[in-house]
Amino acid sequence: MKTLSILLALGIAATSVQAAKLDRTRPPAAGPLPAVTFPDAVTETLPNGLTVFVLPIHKEPMVTFRLLVKSGDFCDGSKPGLAALTAAVLNKGTAELAASEFAQKTDFLGISVEGGSSDDATTVTASGLSRYSNEILGFLRDVALRPAFRQTEVDNEKTKMVSNLAQKRMDPDELTVRLRDKLLYGEHPYGAYATPETVQSITRDDIVQFHDTQFLPNNATLVVVGDVEPSAALEQVRKAFGDWKQQDVPPCAPPVAFPEIKGVTVHVVDRPGSVQSAILVAARGVAKNNPDVPELSAVNSLLGGGMSGRLAANLREKHGFTYGSSSGFAAKKLGGAFSATAEVRNEVTGSAVEEILKELKRISSEPIPESELSLQRNFVAGNFLMSIENERRMGERLQEVDLYGLPADFYKTYAKKVTGLTPQKATELAKKYIDPNDLVIVVVGEAKEIVPQLEKFGKVTVYDTDLKEKK
Amino acid sequence: MKSSLFAAITGALCIGLSPVAFAENTTSPDAVILPTVKMPMIDFVEYDLPNGLHVILHQNKTAPVVSTYLLYHVGSKNERPDRTGFAHFFEHLMFEGSENIKRGEIFKYASAAGGDVNASTSFDRTDYHFNMPANQLGLALWIESERMLHGKVEKVGVETQRQVVKEERRLRTENAPYGTLYENLAGMVFKGTPYEWPPIGAVQYIDKATLDEFRSFYHQYYIPNNATLVVAGDFDLDATKKLIADYFGPIPRGNKIKRPEFALQPQQAPTEKTVALANTPLPAVLHAWRAPAETSADAPALELLADILATGRSSRLYERLVRGDQTASEIEAFPMLLEKGGAVGVFAVGNPQTPLEKLDAAVVEEIAKVRDAGVTPEELQKAKNLKMRELAQAYGTMLSRAQNLAHYHVMFGDTGKINQQWEKYEKVTANDIQRVAAKYLIPQGDNVLHYPVVKPNASK
Repeated sequence: MKTLSILLALGIAATSVQAAKLDRTRPPAAGPLPAVTFPDAVTETLPNGLTVFVLPIHKEPMVTFRLLVKSGDFCDGSKPGLAALTAAVLNKGTAELAASEFAQKTDFLGISVEGGSSDDATTVTASGLSRYSNEILGFLRDVALRPAFRQTEVDNEKTKMVSNLAQKRMDPDELTVRLRDKLLYGEHPYGAYATPETVQSITRDDIVQFHDTQFLPNNATLVVVGDVEPSAALEQVRKAFGDWKQQDVPPCAPPVAFPEIKGVTVHVVDRPGSVQSAILVAARGVAKNNPDVPELSAVNSLLGGGMSGRLAANLREKHGFTYGSSSGFAAKKLGGAFSATAEVRNEVTGSAVEEILKELKRISSEPIPESELSLQRNFVAGNFLMSIENERRMGERLQEVDLYGLPADFYKTYAKKVTGLTPQKATELAKKYIDPNDLVIVVVGEAKEIVPQLEKFGKVTVYDTDLKEKK
Repeated sequence: MKSSLFAAITGALCIGLSPVAFAENTTSPDAVILPTVKMPMIDFVEYDLPNGLHVILHQNKTAPVVSTYLLYHVGSKNERPDRTGFAHFFEHLMFEGSENIKRGEIFKYASAAGGDVNASTSFDRTDYHFNMPANQLGLALWIESERMLHGKVEKVGVETQRQVVKEERRLRTENAPYGTLYENLAGMVFKGTPYEWPPIGAVQYIDKATLDEFRSFYHQYYIPNNATLVVAGDFDLDATKKLIADYFGPIPRGNKIKRPEFALQPQQAPTEKTVALANTPLPAVLHAWRAPAETSADAPALELLADILATGRSSRLYERLVRGDQTASEIEAFPMLLEKGGAVGVFAVGNPQTPLEKLDAAVVEEIAKVRDAGVTPEELQKAKNLKMRELAQAYGTMLSRAQNLAHYHVMFGDTGKINQQWEKYEKVTANDIQRVAAKYLIPQGDNVLHYPVVKPNASK
């Protein structure tokens, strides 16, 4: 193939190259990668069971307190959305303050207090200028321990949540992930998701019950990150949370087995008017505490990490199918999902799926070149090193080690494990965790244009944007 | 609370090269306090190379990382109206290679070094950045200097990137709920100026640009005397100065650039537009007005006004529409202040059954209240406190420091202003807030966009 190329600055190059003494025809030599040092935190478990981590970092005059309760959407029971709604109402007023007063007082001090939930945990994060650390902690305690859950606020948050769900059912990414989880996790709580109906069914009593049974010191951790002195911060926390009463934590949901994924099936969400298809090819992934997780991140990177992964090289740079194609393992406490994704124009939807499947097969069937793996090991280890710049993320990692029962040195040994990965081991891991024979292919887009392109990959089921099967 | 829907949409304020680095880019400010908090001081040295390249170095050894940030002072406002999207398309081409870097290798070099690379294009500038482990600064400087000295583009790369950019446009604009908000906003508020098209441009022009046009654009704008290079993080000062001189010194100075001259005139009559799309999930309205450039003396008051209107759950519009009327599920006010002029606006997303007129009426009424009666001293102090917090946490990453150092140099002509941000907000008075509301948020300048929910069969 003849490639026409232009040197953008014709004529300038020759003279200027001679002017410099260094050899600019190749990249400069680099020294060794700086040693990765995961910072040490000061840790203390209060008599009531609350474990506290303090990570002093004085780059900015800011402090963040993050309370993590080890019960999340997993504990929603028959009413998906319960943990999320609880988290949303938490900061809408305390025993002493109405919601608007609480907002007024926190806004005035530049303090934010925000709740949130994920499958495995519910969090409340309070942050602001470190000079207000006492006030910040006070707001956090009131929100976490003595929320008012006034009926008007519950109703208002339900309205907002229903509106938010209306947005989500038009969002291609959100739809692919929801359907993926429904397919991979089935009746397990990880497969459930909130709908307007489930949200409407939640009562104030449900919220109070969830809060009273799950928000317990022996079911929580607290991390303090930022411009603080550890001993003073610990003393503050003891005062604020020392009288929080410990009690037994009831188990949330009886374990339900995940459905078996056998063969390849295709699942299309019909989103009329779409000019792009959001593709997500999924396989059963790994749980957070799987010992292969560090090495697996380099295997994944080879396939779909960043702009130098095989998926981006193929679907973006070779074929021009997409703006971005990547892959990842989304791990939870009890299980996880592997996903390879791309957003492509309608007419190449089938071709793009084919290329993704080709790459999934290739990674386990062809030997992995050491040079390519070496690049990806460096990429993962280097990015881990750079993430140390993000102090809040560091704090979250301390809580993850506890929440998921990871080895205490998980993050200290992470980079070393990644850099020790051999091509043989990488192939072995790819075979074990990315099986191209057992997949679900989820595509959100214009069904009438894309279904004909997808039938060759497996049996096609079509859904509406409420994820109800269409006849 | 600024990291919500509108922020996601105006991520299009600058559009990136690759989707990878986007998530990390938003800070999520909320509130702040009274004076006298000691802001982190961003120390720097700056100088020009003989060829005109402006260099800014900020050393900080908190973590063993380093960021490079290269800003070219060219954006979508430098484009011809029949070549919109050109600057952004060219940004993609800058990843194709150079005389010494083969096609596709820039990403590989960055990854193999343990770093990442990305770029973005806005109305006023195009930027390229690397985040690297501290041992790999040389690589980033080599790649940037290669691209500035003798960038190289192959036909196959141009054709591929045409497709990639079209997908980027579909992803962010056409297929995303409210994705057309930004281009409609620009089209209304900036009508008749080179700001009236957004950096992503119109799809019909992406195929038109020729290789000759790329070459000419490169010669015109990708020259050292139109560029600012910032290095921030863990590095050796003297060695880095030498490295920069070695790599960038030989690049010849280019011709002086003729920049677009225009000013936004006061608007004489309001405008209104309805955008009916199948992918609109909830009724939404946008009200936007013309505003001054970011360097205007009115800018700090306008920014604080936007905070008083919609930052935090005690803000006026949140109290009124979300908590009070319960007609809206989300509310945002934004200043979008650019080099030659700006916009200030309010975006409200309704609940499913909310009539658009109700959202309109509430927004118009609340704006009129500020114009007519001003704001209270408590509201102003709260807005300042919020701003102080925002500033206190604005510089957590080396990249954010590098970006802002370059920004102050290029847009304000004074890098040192990065350390004087608080002062300009501190001196704003309640009178200033009322004055700028009355000056800019005027009824005859109100540009209204409606996003109704379209019933399935009624869509196009």
